[in-house]
Amino acid sequence: MSIDGQLLPEPGRTSAFFTDVTTCIGCKACEVACKEWNLIPATNEINMRWRGRSYDHGQGLGHSSYRHVKFVEQNQPLGGQLTDPEHPFRWVFLSDVCKHCEHAGCMELCPTGAIVRTEFNTVFVQPDVCNGCGYCVVGCPFGVIDRRPDDGRAFKCTFCYDRQVVGEIPACAKACPTDAIRFGPYDVLREQADRRVELLHARGVPEARLETGEGTSVGHTNAFSLLVDRPEPFGLPPNPIVPSMHLKVAWTSALLTAAALGIVLLGAFAVG
Amino acid sequence: MDLEHADCVLIQGSSMAEAHPVGFRWVMRAKERGATIIHVDPRFSRTSAMADIWAPLRVGTDIVFLGGLIRYVLEHERYFRDYVVNYTNAAAIVGRGYVDTEQLDGLFSGWDPASKSYDPASWFYDAGAPAPHSPNEPVVAKDASSQNDPTSQKNPILSNNGADVGSPRDRAVAGGSGARDPSLRHHNCVFQILRRHFARYTPEMVERACGVPQKTFHRIAQELCDNSGRERTTAICYALGWTQHTKGVQVIRSAAILQLLLGNIGRPGGGIMALRGHASIQGSTDIPTLYDILPGYLKMPEALSHEGDDTLAAYVSRHGNRLGWWAHTETYMVSLLRAWYGDAARADNDWGFGLLPRICGDHSHFPTFCDMADNKMEGMFIMGQNPAVGGQNSRLERRALAQLDWLVVRDLVETETAAFWYDSPEIERGELRTREIGTEVFLMPAAGHAEKEGTFTNTQRLLQWREKAVDPPGDARSEAWFIVHLGRRLRARARAEAKANAEAATGADAPLLALTWDYELEGAYLEPKIEQVVIEINGYRFGDGAPVAGFSELRGDGSTACGCWIYSGVYPSKGRNRAAERKPKGRYGHGWGFTWPADRRILYNRASADPEGRPWSERKKLIWWDPAEARWRGFDTPDFPVDKSPHYRPGRPRASGVSAKSDIAAGAARPAPEGLDGLSGLDGHAGTSPFLMQPDGVAWLFAPIGLKDGPLPTHYEPVESPTGNLLYPGQAANPAAERFERPDNPLITSGDPAYPYALTTYRLTEHHTAGGMSRWLSRLAELQPEMFCEISPELAEEVGVSHSDWVVVRTPRGAIEARALVTRRIRPLRIDTQLRVAGTIGPVDPATPSDSPRPDPADPSYSIQSATTSDSVASHFRTIHQVAMPFHWGRRGLVTGDSANDLIPLLGEPNVSIHESKALLCNLEPGRLPRGAPVLRPGLDSGASHEPGERG
Amino acid sequence: MSRERKPDAASEARLLELRRQASEGSGESHTPPESRPSVTDGYYGQPVVKAPVWTWEVPTYFAVGGIAGMAAAIAAAVAWTSSTSVEGSVTSSIGVGIGIGWTARVVALVGAVLSGALLVSDLGRPSRFLYMLRIVKLSSPMSIGAWLLTVFGALVGVAVLLGGMADAADAEWVGRLDRLVIAGSGLAGLMLATYTGVLLAATVIPVWASHRALLPVHFGLSSPGSAAAVLELLGYHDLALNRVGLLVAFAETLLLLWMEMHTHAWTKPLRDGSSGLQIRVAGVLTGPLALALRAVGQPPILRLAAAVFFVTGSVLSRFAWVAAGRESAKDPRATFEWQRVWEKRS
Ligand SMILES: Nc1nc2c(c(=O)[nH]1)N[C@H]1C(S)=C(S)[C@@H](COP(=O)(O)OP(=O)(O)OC[C@H]3O[C@@H](n4cnc5c(=O)[nH]c(N)nc54)[C@H](O)[C@@H]3O)O[C@H]1N2
Ligand SMILES: Nc1nc2c(c(=O)[nH]1)N[C@H]1C(S)=C(S)[C@@H](COP(=O)(O)OP(=O)(O)OC[C@H]3O[C@@H](n4cnc5c(=O)[nH]c(N)nc54)[C@H](O)[C@@H]3O)O[C@H]1N2
Ligand code: SF4
Ligand code: SF4
Ligand code: SF4
Ligand code: SF4
Ligand code: SF4
Ligand SMILES: [Mo]
Repeated sequence: MSIDGQLLPEPGRTSAFFTDVTTCIGCKACEVACKEWNLIPATNEINMRWRGRSYDHGQGLGHSSYRHVKFVEQNQPLGGQLTDPEHPFRWVFLSDVCKHCEHAGCMELCPTGAIVRTEFNTVFVQPDVCNGCGYCVVGCPFGVIDRRPDDGRAFKCTFCYDRQVVGEIPACAKACPTDAIRFGPYDVLREQADRRVELLHARGVPEARLETGEGTSVGHTNAFSLLVDRPEPFGLPPNPIVPSMHLKVAWTSALLTAAALGIVLLGAFAVG
Repeated sequence: MDLEHADCVLIQGSSMAEAHPVGFRWVMRAKERGATIIHVDPRFSRTSAMADIWAPLRVGTDIVFLGGLIRYVLEHERYFRDYVVNYTNAAAIVGRGYVDTEQLDGLFSGWDPASKSYDPASWFYDAGAPAPHSPNEPVVAKDASSQNDPTSQKNPILSNNGADVGSPRDRAVAGGSGARDPSLRHHNCVFQILRRHFARYTPEMVERACGVPQKTFHRIAQELCDNSGRERTTAICYALGWTQHTKGVQVIRSAAILQLLLGNIGRPGGGIMALRGHASIQGSTDIPTLYDILPGYLKMPEALSHEGDDTLAAYVSRHGNRLGWWAHTETYMVSLLRAWYGDAARADNDWGFGLLPRICGDHSHFPTFCDMADNKMEGMFIMGQNPAVGGQNSRLERRALAQLDWLVVRDLVETETAAFWYDSPEIERGELRTREIGTEVFLMPAAGHAEKEGTFTNTQRLLQWREKAVDPPGDARSEAWFIVHLGRRLRARARAEAKANAEAATGADAPLLALTWDYELEGAYLEPKIEQVVIEINGYRFGDGAPVAGFSELRGDGSTACGCWIYSGVYPSKGRNRAAERKPKGRYGHGWGFTWPADRRILYNRASADPEGRPWSERKKLIWWDPAEARWRGFDTPDFPVDKSPHYRPGRPRASGVSAKSDIAAGAARPAPEGLDGLSGLDGHAGTSPFLMQPDGVAWLFAPIGLKDGPLPTHYEPVESPTGNLLYPGQAANPAAERFERPDNPLITSGDPAYPYALTTYRLTEHHTAGGMSRWLSRLAELQPEMFCEISPELAEEVGVSHSDWVVVRTPRGAIEARALVTRRIRPLRIDTQLRVAGTIGPVDPATPSDSPRPDPADPSYSIQSATTSDSVASHFRTIHQVAMPFHWGRRGLVTGDSANDLIPLLGEPNVSIHESKALLCNLEPGRLPRGAPVLRPGLDSGASHEPGERG
Repeated sequence: MSRERKPDAASEARLLELRRQASEGSGESHTPPESRPSVTDGYYGQPVVKAPVWTWEVPTYFAVGGIAGMAAAIAAAVAWTSSTSVEGSVTSSIGVGIGIGWTARVVALVGAVLSGALLVSDLGRPSRFLYMLRIVKLSSPMSIGAWLLTVFGALVGVAVLLGGMADAADAEWVGRLDRLVIAGSGLAGLMLATYTGVLLAATVIPVWASHRALLPVHFGLSSPGSAAAVLELLGYHDLALNRVGLLVAFAETLLLLWMEMHTHAWTKPLRDGSSGLQIRVAGVLTGPLALALRAVGQPPILRLAAAVFFVTGSVLSRFAWVAAGRESAKDPRATFEWQRVWEKRS
């Protein structure tokens, strides 16, 4: 379904975000729209201070910011952009968000089942179930979800579930003036993204690449982005590892240790 | 929105992505379609980040850069000849008395040093020149197989050589018809004047003065030329980086000349886009909050003018035009007077023209605040403005506020302006004491835009209706409520007085009592009915009271009223509010809102077709003449009489010079008011004249009248500049600039080593202007929490600060502290900073030049260099550092900081009085500003010793 | 008006002071000058993953739960290796005549209750602690742990009850049931002591995940050591306890050596800073020091000292590992380096 070319959410279909750094102007409208829509409490004491990461003075993604725009200022050129021939540099903006992973670390670890997968195949924290155990916080390979100190529960991007169920697109995508955040079904956007990379390559931006999570343990990420560098300068993990990757080894170790210790104890007391 | 159709977009003097992110959407669309985006800006901003090419440029040198582009287009023969010859005044021949800045070292002829102003008479078209070619004739390249219209005739009015009739504008162009050279070879035709004028604006000059590398310049020039012409178009976007200079209007003129030469006006994906500021700032120019114009760009009558605006007739003959659209001046004025004064505006009292207030000088912002500072004003209403932060030399402005008896501030929050009397740097430093301030401050809470209904007029002249979402909180009320109820109370009082004293009724209160002030009030708050206001603005007929369908229905006989003629048509019939319509159709979204005038989305779109009325190219078609239907058709509403054939020529000249169809009497002092609608004023224009607001129907490359600082743009340095004027060593800054020379507005002498750095100010996406709408909101405030300035790593090292350290920025007006944001995005520039040296040539005697033989620019031996001063001045390259700072902070709100405007002087552009906030000088010192200490150091900072309030 | 900028000592001092004030103004360290996002440093050195939000309760729980679990295991070992179920082979030197098995059960029960309390108090919404038992989630070690602790607590409770009954009612079935229950709590206890290693390992924290095999071993080993030490400190000078102590101290020494030998970008917090110091002190306390003291063995006070050191070291090591996790999360290089060596999933 679409209105004026805007793809709309459909239950049963995977909703996705395609964020494109080559069209993001760093206006932060997405950040503000998200906070407004989700009525995120102002965290003035934490936030209203100079941090000086270029124009980024934010806390980063966390319990009280579900969208966060990164300002990547680097001393290297961007494609064929003509800036300063002597000291080439560039300024790239990435609007970061929860990835809504296919294999979501946060969801794997959540002991209460508060984190669920919705009919839009997105990852959603049910605020009425979360008991604030904090385990999801160390389960997210992208450093997204966090526990809100005063509230005690964990929060992250809801993918505007409340909007999607009534057929609206997420607030951040709606606010984005340049369509740098595209919303739509995963398969459609993924295809668009491939074409976009091809186009950019043809237009002399060879460094354009997609960061989709594919080939890593998260499977794919429903929110994926087009970058112009490796993921690290954008503060993204080069090879995200979900917690379940460690379960086999760790549990084996635990069981063997337990068994060994059981035998040792029995032995120690049996010897008398 | 049309930007989407551009093949190249040059953004210069605006950080469009940051200040107009939503409008920038269309630039990004164009980019997606393959357009080249170019950004020329001293700072590498978020806009530059999206551009294909960024050219760093020294602040205040845009005319050199644009002049360089103009020269490139001319010298490389890249102009769109058919367009230039037919649609601009390139062929017009200027009078012999005209002398260019190239001869007068930076001055045009007509300069009067005593009054510091120009007499434009020598810029007029040549009234006596013989006509070498048939005038007003479409001239197209031979291969374009165009046949000259056999019916073509001489323009009777233009060929009238009686140069002393009509309004000054009429007189300026009166010679135009007889004096045209479509071959563009005549020595004094505009085209040749242009070539000579810009001959020295070479790529080398651009590099030396602006710091733009020649390679970058060439690349940009090529992109512009390659993306202009029949098949392609280039758009230019600008904003404050061009306007906030003492020569702002001329910078924009440079762009206009460039776009006209390239044939990019009136065509899809072309044009010059002024990116307007506040949400409806366009609306508040159309229905102005400016002192010198009335709604619809009618001039405000003057009281002290020697030419006189005493009667309507005198006013019309002075400000109207016989030809072109302004021939309707009287119709629109009468309709306006009828809207405002109703039955008090009658034929027998000159339609109440005498009731209109008169201006008696410059009543713009700065003179007003200077008067205030000098204790010449009693009180002030400040509604939706925060001059304590946003006003230049804001220290002066805050201290001026303390001289008032009363001050009414209407705002959403308690701004710095409302709180100046107890919370300001002056109070903190002890320069002012609350106890000693006599100003009574009334803070009235205002309703925000979601709390009231009405229209916004955006930068594309599009009126959009906005519904009211919620009731305003507490006592907050809309502007309309405030003004209407204030008016009611004042009128009630005036009426009471008039009853008691009959004289009062005819005295100063008369205009107030004459106003039609019968707005219907509705709702619990007794809010005026906004729809009624819209109908008044749209215009209506007396009698049945029905709205008029458009300005063509307005009459000068008093049968119609109209509050703003250009908006006429927004409410064309009962119950139909076109501003509120939201069903976009077609390429230009007609059906969504209403664009003035007459829902034309692209002005002068007649220029999108060739003189014959055919689109210049299939790719760039917009409107065209349909011979079968004998109408103009296309994707937009034609900005042209819809049934006027391209082959139309003004009537054959009669002995009296009156055209057959027109009742404009050529010799008469003013056009007859009757029958002017629709055709008459344009009757004098050929069917090939797209620029219908102009008296001669063509766009002016050369402005024979209308500008206070010259007919052509010419480079001047900012008043405070780190260098001299490379091009005109004798004339550093705009001679006509308004300088407010007073002790509390000290200026830095260019080249003063105490203030070595160029300073410019700009805005951030995250904040809004003086901060009233952003610093109080946590979601926005947190995004940019502290005042900072952007400097290059080289400057940081020179000053001795690192990233995030504090620096003090100092000018003689004040000193403020800011964080240093050290970034490569600001680049030190190598600039030729030669200042004037002895032995430069003297100005050519303005009395003789036109008679002496002139070199032919086409001659290979021709060199303009010989006539200039370049040999006498030695090149001296120096590194110029630029400091850029946002100006959003003040002392109140959730995030606070010092205001950049404490640093900025009062300076005025001669035509529109805009300040020079984009180019000045400053010094940087590491560290913080000691709080509470005097901001200026007596004896060290110029002007400090004059400060009366300064202590210890 | 001449421009003077000749720095002297006074102006430099003022500058330094201003710089200091400026940097303190925001309370947070700024981006270093000219620092640029890069493949090595990431986004201005900002963390990639989030640090654990857990407070002191969690590492304390790791230690207490481990002691409780192993105490139960000891009780089970006692029960299954001696003729009587509750009476231990040795009675307390404080001479109250209470068997070691019984005391171990009580220690286990107290530990279980304490563990629960600690866990609840760490929750952001303590009132919702029962939500832990809404589901069983195999992918979540915390879910398994919650169930383990629940089962363990229940079994130990019953075991204590049965232990009390066994003295009174000499019924055969009570003894048999008791041995089954205590065996169950012993098994659960063994897992309770080791699963906490899994809990840390199955995360995105580089220093934890990269020690996913070691952590269960380490937490596992130090738990019986601590449980034994607690019992020793309660007065049980059982040879068996000393044997356990010796063995685990030996193993901990080996682990310490292994860790010292395997250093990577992501193991920095195990060596540097406060967490590194804690890890090392804890390692020495539970490893070489405890081993040496026990190896000498005489006078008995040395063994008691070893017990004290071991328990201290073991509690400290839990805190140290959580602290190391926090440091590790903050360091983007750790994440990058660790992920780079991690082979891609096919
Ligand atoms: N988010 C946001 N949007 C806004 C506003 C706001 O405050 N916040 N304000 C609104 C208003 S009132 C206005 S008027 C507009 C203004 O919109 P803009 O004019 O785009 O805004 P500025 O940032 O003031 O200035 C534009 C650019 O001019 C550059 N510049 C400075 N000096 C020169 C020069 O000499 N030559 C050239 N070529 N460039 C120069 C600056 O570096 C800056 O990048 O924005 C409107 N939109
Ligand atoms: N140095 C420097 N100075 C500049 C500029 C620059 O570029 N550099 N830019 C200049 C420009 S372009 C501009 S436009 C000015 C802007 O300067 P100002 O107009 O002085 O500043 P604003 O903050 O826009 O003030 C608007 C006020 O209106 C209030 N307001 C909003 N809505 C309403 C309403 O509906 N009713 C009423 N009554 N109040 C309302 C807001 O709260 C706010 O306080 O600054 C100028 N100053
Ligand atoms: S990005 Fe993190 S929080 Fe979001 S779904 Fe993936 S694991 Fe969960
Ligand atoms: S904090 Fe809430 S969402 Fe996160 S793991 Fe615990 S219960 Fe689940
Ligand atoms: S989808 Fe909704 S919750 Fe998520 S970032 Fe966008 S606006 Fe925020
Ligand atoms: S709203 Fe769009 S353009 Fe603006 S910062 Fe967010 S993603 Fe970028
Ligand atoms: S704030 Fe309003 S006017 Fe300004 S860009 Fe955004 S939508 Fe347009
Ligand atoms: Mo503005």
